[in-house]
Amino acid sequence: MASKEILKIENLTTYFYTWAGVVKAVDGVSLDVREGETLGLVGESGSGKSVTALSILRIVPRPGKIIGGKIIYKGENLLEKTEGEMQQIRGKEIAYISQEPGTSLNPVFSIADQLTEVIRRHQNVTKEEALKRAIELFRIVEIADPEIKVWNYPHQLSGGMKQRIAIAKALSCQPSLLLADEPTTNLDVTIQAQILELMKNLKEKLGMSMILVTHDMGVVAGVADRINVMYAGRICEVASTKTIFRNPLHPYTRALLEAVPNVALRKDKLKIIPGTIPNLISPPSGCRFHPRCDFALAECASTVPPLVEIESEHYVACIRAKEFTEKTVRGVKR
Amino acid sequence: MSNVIRGKRLETLVKRKPAGVSQWSIAWRRFKKNKAALAGLVIVGAIIVIAVFSPIIARYPLNYLASFNEEGRIRMPPSSKYWFGTDYIGRDVFSQLVYGAGNVLYVGFGAAAIAMSLAIAIGIASGYLGGLVDNVLMRITEIFLVIPFLLILLVFLRVAMAIAPSGVGSLTMVTLMIGLFSWASNARIIRGEVLRVKQNEYIEAAIALGASKWRIMFRHVLPNVLHVIIVLTTLQIATAILVEAGVSFLGFGDPNSVTWGQQLQGASEAVKEAWWEGIFPGLFITLLVLGFNLLGNGLRDALDPRLRE
Amino acid sequence: MPTKREGFKAIRFKVHNIAKNSMTKYVLRRLLYLIPIFFGILIIVFVATRMAGDPVKLMTGLNPRITFEARERLTQYYGLDQPLYYQFLKFVWEMLQGNLGNSYAIRGGTAVTTLVGNYAWETFKLQLAALFFSLVIAIPIGILSARKQYSKLDMTVTTTSLVGTCIPIFYMGIVAILIFSYFLGWFPYGAAHSLDPTRYPFGSYLLDELWHMFLPVAALTFAELAPVVLLVRSSMLEVLRQDYILAARASGLSERTVIYKHALRNALIPVVTYVGLYFGGMLAGAPITEKVFNWPGVGRLYVEAISKLDFPVITGITVFVTLMVLVANLITDIAYAYIDPRIRIE
Repeated sequence: MASKEILKIENLTTYFYTWAGVVKAVDGVSLDVREGETLGLVGESGSGKSVTALSILRIVPRPGKIIGGKIIYKGENLLEKTEGEMQQIRGKEIAYISQEPGTSLNPVFSIADQLTEVIRRHQNVTKEEALKRAIELFRIVEIADPEIKVWNYPHQLSGGMKQRIAIAKALSCQPSLLLADEPTTNLDVTIQAQILELMKNLKEKLGMSMILVTHDMGVVAGVADRINVMYAGRICEVASTKTIFRNPLHPYTRALLEAVPNVALRKDKLKIIPGTIPNLISPPSGCRFHPRCDFALAECASTVPPLVEIESEHYVACIRAKEFTEKTVRGVKR
Repeated sequence: MSNVIRGKRLETLVKRKPAGVSQWSIAWRRFKKNKAALAGLVIVGAIIVIAVFSPIIARYPLNYLASFNEEGRIRMPPSSKYWFGTDYIGRDVFSQLVYGAGNVLYVGFGAAAIAMSLAIAIGIASGYLGGLVDNVLMRITEIFLVIPFLLILLVFLRVAMAIAPSGVGSLTMVTLMIGLFSWASNARIIRGEVLRVKQNEYIEAAIALGASKWRIMFRHVLPNVLHVIIVLTTLQIATAILVEAGVSFLGFGDPNSVTWGQQLQGASEAVKEAWWEGIFPGLFITLLVLGFNLLGNGLRDALDPRLRE
Repeated sequence: MPTKREGFKAIRFKVHNIAKNSMTKYVLRRLLYLIPIFFGILIIVFVATRMAGDPVKLMTGLNPRITFEARERLTQYYGLDQPLYYQFLKFVWEMLQGNLGNSYAIRGGTAVTTLVGNYAWETFKLQLAALFFSLVIAIPIGILSARKQYSKLDMTVTTTSLVGTCIPIFYMGIVAILIFSYFLGWFPYGAAHSLDPTRYPFGSYLLDELWHMFLPVAALTFAELAPVVLLVRSSMLEVLRQDYILAARASGLSERTVIYKHALRNALIPVVTYVGLYFGGMLAGAPITEKVFNWPGVGRLYVEAISKLDFPVITGITVFVTLMVLVANLITDIAYAYIDPRIRIE
């Protein structure tokens, strides 16, 4: 291991108990985040990546429930903490930036109210002091006229501005770990780049670790150090960003990369992954990707492939991963 | 949705009938799963059956002074002879309830039909045409929204009594009046829905293709707000039944028609002496209103296109 | 920058000042908006009453010795021989001076303002008490039900509320009187006071008043409670699904702060709108409640006035109730703007 882990998840299982049945949203996920690194958690919508992030903070909305596993943060299992202890960790130790900049701020309170509330929740300061810090944070996330803007209500601000504020709010108590759930998905492309750049810089400056949850390969490419690819509630491939892009071994990862427009050179060759993410109430047996996989064998339907280290620091959950490394199968189906 | 499901849908399209049908059958399948909604359907269905077969189900002729004629007594308690007892002039409460079912449903359906026709016309015109039409219609709607509904209704029922042309039954007048005063909130909801539908691209496409305003309104807008209209109609029937019972209770109903509200009014004079006289009609009003409300809620869940997947 | 100590307050004050100004403008705009609605309703009821029949004929119909001239004189006396628009303008002119005319039917031609003044409090007493209790009970129950969605408690609450919305208030009243007053004898079965002062509980007029109020207020409260519970529940469920609630939880706020500060304020927005409209409905529904409980309020007065074609009383009570409804609407609008900054600040 290159450096110490700040967060280690082992066999995390989170189910949603709905009327229609039990949705196995996260089913035995293990991953680790090293100190100071940015981990990309990538997958289609519905793959369980957001639920994983919410599970870390133990704020999975009803009817979701964490069934088992361990979430070890700085040596302590978060799943064994009381709700009161968790409240001290949320926002202070581990911060969260949610998907929708437009809706992650409460529409009926001013930004100042919302920021000072969080600051005062975790730090013993006066209202005036908290306000000063809020304004300071506005400067850090590069918002002009912070003294005035801080008194605005969310509906008076643009999407990009709101996301900057959401970042400011997340950073307000200098967390050690930042969970960013699709932080740029709903923004304009130009703003997206700005926000990503800002997050990257701030992460360096504050020496945080970060989990970046996204479905967008383009986003992780520029920001993440390592990538975990998730499919249907399970991790299917783990490697450094470079490796994932240069030498993806899991067929799903490959398909994901082929579906990105700027990787495929010509538009008419853009590859579509057939089908959709499976129904997680009764997921496919064996490897969950096998019904959509071009390389599936009969065995894939019966055996759950373990996450195996194929090369150094490169883990793949596919029984044919070894074959793919030999580059024989590669490109055959293209 | 996935190719597989799309494929399946296509199959049904080819095998069966045009698009609309499968949509309704999906709604029906969802409705069937909802126990509360089915209960509502059963209640409403049962009362419709009672209304249709009232001469067979009732145990005495309409307005027959059963206990007075046969025993010289009024307000007799429930017994095997008079299941729900007899009223202040000796009529069998059960039989009168059965005869009343038709009238109650008549008011409910009639008033809802009138209110919804107005609401649909005004809601669609206002939402679709916009501009000045919208402005004028919505100001009028607002008057009807804040109007002290029952107070004005009572005045108008008095007017109806004064000017009722011969030949028009008074119950029809009551129905008409209730209908004329209960469209406003529905109109506003339909207008909101129309505004939502209007933003859809297929409407723009229809405009681009040169379809006339009327054609767009009836061919494209109306079918897409139909699910809201169905739900509102069901709930409006329930409201109209409650209102009729209320005005009858106040003595502003039609004294010549048997309705459950009329029965309650007769009973309210002697609640202590003859509790059965009011308890049963009230129970039936509650039951029927509950039936329509459950049905309406069930339809809302079954027809909601946002839940359709 | 202001000094460190005053910083927060000074800026806050400035911002609130701006908000207040826009608030005043907002209220004025709403007020201007309500005036035509008021007159619209007034015209409707004024014309309708005149169509309902001839009060002079009704008053004199049972008197065989009345002469045609006497009738004419009475019609003139009441101004009913004038054209309708003239009657209306005269009414409006007098109304603006605080005069709603005199009753035709009530002894001595009592001024309508006096009548309304005497009866309105009795009506208000019931409605306000019921509104207060229904909100105080419904909001916590609705919140609890939403937080425990699909639990046994939630099922019970929703079912009871749904049935509650279907029971006509007069039926509920009759059943309540039957049980608590006739069978159990705990409460009087109508009227606002005991006629005989010796029957006051512990000789107290106030206790007697409360004792009489109990049943009607309880019945009304239950009737209003049911829809409010359902509304609070569904509104709360909607809000609890929002991202900002998740974000609030994620920033380590306590559950109490999340629910009662962040969620409740948002969930109350539709509730406030509804309560305003609903209060109007309840006031207009006063005739029914007051008949059931034999309560001396404007509703009962109104029903009597209609049967006697007592035009000034009908119009007067309509004016009064409409005003109350509009005031309730205005309060709703203000409360709405207070809760939701999106309305306050454009």
